[in-house]
Amino acid sequence: MLRKFFIETGRYFLFLGMVFKKPEKWRIFWKQFILEADKLIVSSVVLVSVISVFIGGVLVIQTASNMNNPFLDRMLVGYMVRESLILEFCSTMVALILAGKVGSNIASELGSMRITDQIDAIEMMGVNSASFLVLPKVLSVTLLSPLLVLLSFCLGLFGGWVVVAVTSIIPVAKYFTGLKYFFSEFYVFYSCVKMSIFCFMIASIAAYKGYYAHGGALGVGRSSTKSIVVSCILILMFDLIITQLMLY
Amino acid sequence: MIKIEHLDKSFGDLHVLNDISIEYRQGLCNMIIGASGSGKTVLLKTIIGLLKPDGGTVTFNGQNISELPYEEMKRFRQHIGVLFQNSALFDFATVIENVMFPMDFFTDWSRKEKIRRAEYCLERVNVQGNEKKYPGELSGGMQKRVGIARAIALNPKYLICDEPNSGLDPETSILIDRLIYGLTKEFGMTTIINTHDMNSILEIGDNIGFLHQGRMLWQGDRKTIFDTDCEELRTFVCANSLARNIMERKHL
Ligand SMILES: Nc1ncnc2c1ncn2[C@@H]1O[C@H](COP(=O)(O)OP(=O)(O)OP(=O)(O)O)[C@@H](O)[C@H]1O
Ligand SMILES: [Mg+2]
Repeated sequence: MLRKFFIETGRYFLFLGMVFKKPEKWRIFWKQFILEADKLIVSSVVLVSVISVFIGGVLVIQTASNMNNPFLDRMLVGYMVRESLILEFCSTMVALILAGKVGSNIASELGSMRITDQIDAIEMMGVNSASFLVLPKVLSVTLLSPLLVLLSFCLGLFGGWVVVAVTSIIPVAKYFTGLKYFFSEFYVFYSCVKMSIFCFMIASIAAYKGYYAHGGALGVGRSSTKSIVVSCILILMFDLIITQLMLY
Repeated sequence: MIKIEHLDKSFGDLHVLNDISIEYRQGLCNMIIGASGSGKTVLLKTIIGLLKPDGGTVTFNGQNISELPYEEMKRFRQHIGVLFQNSALFDFATVIENVMFPMDFFTDWSRKEKIRRAEYCLERVNVQGNEKKYPGELSGGMQKRVGIARAIALNPKYLICDEPNSGLDPETSILIDRLIYGLTKEFGMTTIINTHDMNSILEIGDNIGFLHQGRMLWQGDRKTIFDTDCEELRTFVCANSLARNIMERKHL
């Protein structure tokens, strides 16, 4: 078990070494980069948006219902919703969801290419298949995922506003005062960095699992499931580590 | 020339290739024949370096490829055209993009030139008119032919085909055989073909190696195949009724 863990980890880093090679042709790389960005990031926008709006709304209700002590300013509801969103929900929660969507997409795509010999075919043409297939995916997801954080943050706040406006659970003006109260740009930066790291893990682990898939269609499914499980656990572990490093 | 010496390969307890030595000369259609499961695909994949041999060497024109560093191996592979048993066309690309794929990487041709070359290759294997389709929309036989077109796109020095005509009708099958034969002679390629199709063996087999349970039991050409006294090979040949007739008449 422990032995297997070390073997897998070693193989994973060797795989990364193969992925981070200079692309054969930059023109082809950029073309792939844009395709992958569209397939992995742009296509996640709707999912992330819907989730963020609802989370924002739910957070407002939960926070307000826990803070009906008259000594607490109602403005603090807005403040706390903002802080929870930017610190945790927009990065970690969204990353966990992307681990499912992006991770399974990458793992199953590469896995099916592996079992139908397409990866071997690329390799036999004299092209570094790991770099050609995986580098655009990993880079586009890592570099562009902070945009999803920003989107999720804005829409989360919007969702909260909708709930506030509709239910008047707290006065709308108080909500906005809360949102502006003690705003720290560093938290946004922290959240974006966190997301980039999470997304790098999601993409590279899924790619690794898919690239070495074996055992037919079943094996592809297995590799995609495994990649999601592993990246979810790692996301939560690294959430702890990064938070300790950056915020304390 | 491809030279194989004492090649061994096993998967766990399963000994798939057993001390195989054979030479494949340039300008000939070399064939590996044998029953299903005899290890043909494994042999082919070991020759081109996709599987690592447990023992023995494979040399291409004196160059032992398993010793090459990755970068040089990549450069070397540009001269090998491979058709996989299941075609292995790229699902993400159309037929013409599949054929243009190696050109994108290794030539500086303009888009027009690449398209012209790809159309020429597709024409030679008789699949013109399907350029815009995706591999999933083609029949198995058509996929195979597109696979051949992709393999010959850059005029390789070595052409490796894993069952180029399984799943094709007899007419197309003979067409593919003749195409491969013609290309081999025309460009002086070193061609290795895996097959268990008696028809192609008799049509284009310049140098035939018979693989049985991982051993190379017999080597010869299409003229001498009927004179063999290797019992396993005779059983293999006689499974085809036409070949059985010839065999019986010869030995009467
Ligand atoms: N990756 C692998 N792992 C384990 N065993 C394998 C693997 N690939 C092939 N084998 C075994 O090697 C043997 C030979 O397989 P191979 O695919 O070379 O047969 P073949 O001669 O190409 O047959 P066919 O004509 O049906 O394609 C089979 O018994 C198969 O089970
Ligand atoms: Mg085979």
